[in-house]
Amino acid sequence: MAEYNEEQVMSRRNIESPWAVGWRRFKKNRVALLGAIFLVIFIFLAVFAPFLTPYDPTRADFLRRNQAPSSEHWLGTDEMGRDVLTRTLYGGRISLTVGLVAVSIMMIIALILGSIAGYAGGFTDTVIMRLADIFLSFPFLILAITASALLGPSIYNVMIILGVISWPGPCRLLRAEFLKLKTQDFVQAAIALGGGHRRIILIHLLPNAIPPLLVAATLGVASTIIGEAGLSFLGLGVPPPAPSWGNMLNSARALHIMEGMPWMWLPPGIAIFLAVLSINFLGDGLRDALDPKQE
Amino acid sequence: MVTYLIRRVLFQGVPVLLGFTFLVFLMINFAPGDPVTHLRGVPDLDPRVIEDRKAQLGLDRPLIVRYFDWLGELLQGNLGRSFDSARRPVANLIQERLPVTILLSVSSIIIGWGIGIPVGIYSARRQYHLSDYTITFLAFVGVSVPNFFFGMLLLYIFALILNVLPAGGYFGPGEEFTILRMLSYLIMPAFTLGLASIASITRYMRSSLLEVIRQDYLRTARAKGLRERVVIYKHALRNALIPILTLMGFMVPIIFSGAVITEQVFSWPGLGRMAIDATHQRNYPLMMGITLMFGVLTFLGNVVADVAYAIADPRIRYD
Repeated sequence: MAEYNEEQVMSRRNIESPWAVGWRRFKKNRVALLGAIFLVIFIFLAVFAPFLTPYDPTRADFLRRNQAPSSEHWLGTDEMGRDVLTRTLYGGRISLTVGLVAVSIMMIIALILGSIAGYAGGFTDTVIMRLADIFLSFPFLILAITASALLGPSIYNVMIILGVISWPGPCRLLRAEFLKLKTQDFVQAAIALGGGHRRIILIHLLPNAIPPLLVAATLGVASTIIGEAGLSFLGLGVPPPAPSWGNMLNSARALHIMEGMPWMWLPPGIAIFLAVLSINFLGDGLRDALDPKQE
Repeated sequence: MVTYLIRRVLFQGVPVLLGFTFLVFLMINFAPGDPVTHLRGVPDLDPRVIEDRKAQLGLDRPLIVRYFDWLGELLQGNLGRSFDSARRPVANLIQERLPVTILLSVSSIIIGWGIGIPVGIYSARRQYHLSDYTITFLAFVGVSVPNFFFGMLLLYIFALILNVLPAGGYFGPGEEFTILRMLSYLIMPAFTLGLASIASITRYMRSSLLEVIRQDYLRTARAKGLRERVVIYKHALRNALIPILTLMGFMVPIIFSGAVITEQVFSWPGLGRMAIDATHQRNYPLMMGITLMFGVLTFLGNVVADVAYAIADPRIRYD
């Protein structure tokens, strides 16, 4: 290639960073934007729940049990006389928090083990990947059920279990990225210049592996929200009386409630569905926007 | 192929299963509470009684010894006896429940593939049409609905409102077996469990076919005057299906996870429900037995997927 002339060097300023390219693509994706907007609304409703509703999510009111939706209780009341709309809003707090914390745990484990496996290679790599295989090749829920029944149902245990069980996916992703990046000239150059392990990993490898990890983390929030709801639905997740979308569905499993009082179980179910759908749209949009192979 | 299968079972299957069973064994044993916990609360009970009971159940020996005991028994086809009052052999309990779980899982896999593949092909052939957008959107909906909520919706609509299907369960005592009746019990749970598969197979099938359609050899096929049907179904599909087959291996554990919840929603008398009951009762031998069973089933599913992969793609050689 010819040498750069001054004009070309100056125009470097106009070169878009990968993130700017990503954002430009993301903006064009209406479905992904819609997902992001919905998610912001969900977060807003969850954060400001105490200001949006006059009711207490856990205090029973036996004079107002099983009431159908009315102007006073927009989504009716449950079998303990608690306002269903209030519980759905507060349930969003718990479900979204569990999703975020579990994904953070997952990403921390995946970052550490994936970096080590991808960078070190050899025996260390084999051991870590075999461990990942063990986790991946067994039904997720069987592990989660066993673990949460044994640790006891609590919101913290749910976060830990979901985080610890789901690390292998992003871990393999990060390892694969590292293996790809390690062979590239700029990394080889950095190694040849005497860069230490920590410098190579933190400055050269990790930042370049972030886009796929960001997508994995986003989609991970969706699957941990479903995971939490599933565990709570089985009575092994967030324990009552604190509301989570999953345990609200669990308490409405009796056939007479299902048939006669759909206002108790439709709202939390629809809330899970919409939250997960918008996160999936967002994650898919991020993947399209950040994947350099697209153009 | 045969040598590959043997290698696969010996060097991959066995270590993974050993690792996994040991992991679960450790978890179970380090957890608070055991089958004699309830005895400790009994007032004026001689501690010796508890010790005797523990010795009787074999709980007084070191952990690692107990694990190898359990493995030794396993090699002789013995999974131990359940901790509950009847003390029935775990193998028998599993044997009773296994067929219904397999029935449910296999039906949902058939539904997933049977619907997902044709819909995915259709969607890819009509790329950028309204029907393609609709299918893509519905596939997103399908992966986003939690299966238990979808199951509750089906139950609500078809069993409670329309009253055309039974509200869960599977053949009550003394009920006569007919295929039609079996289907009436099976259809809602199988669709509930199959929904996620339908959705994800549709998505993968669509993108895989779109990838293949762009390739040169298809342009050649069209250029030499083959009809569109032949081009798609004979030339494109064969290659587009290959990545879908690898999906099968990944989906087996997901199907079994889903089966646990689906069985709970529809009171389906399978392994998944038994797993939950056993966990609540801290019935160790039963938990270990079920866990192992799910592990073996998942592994077999993966091997089947590998074999299918090799048959579909002649470039793959396993020796």
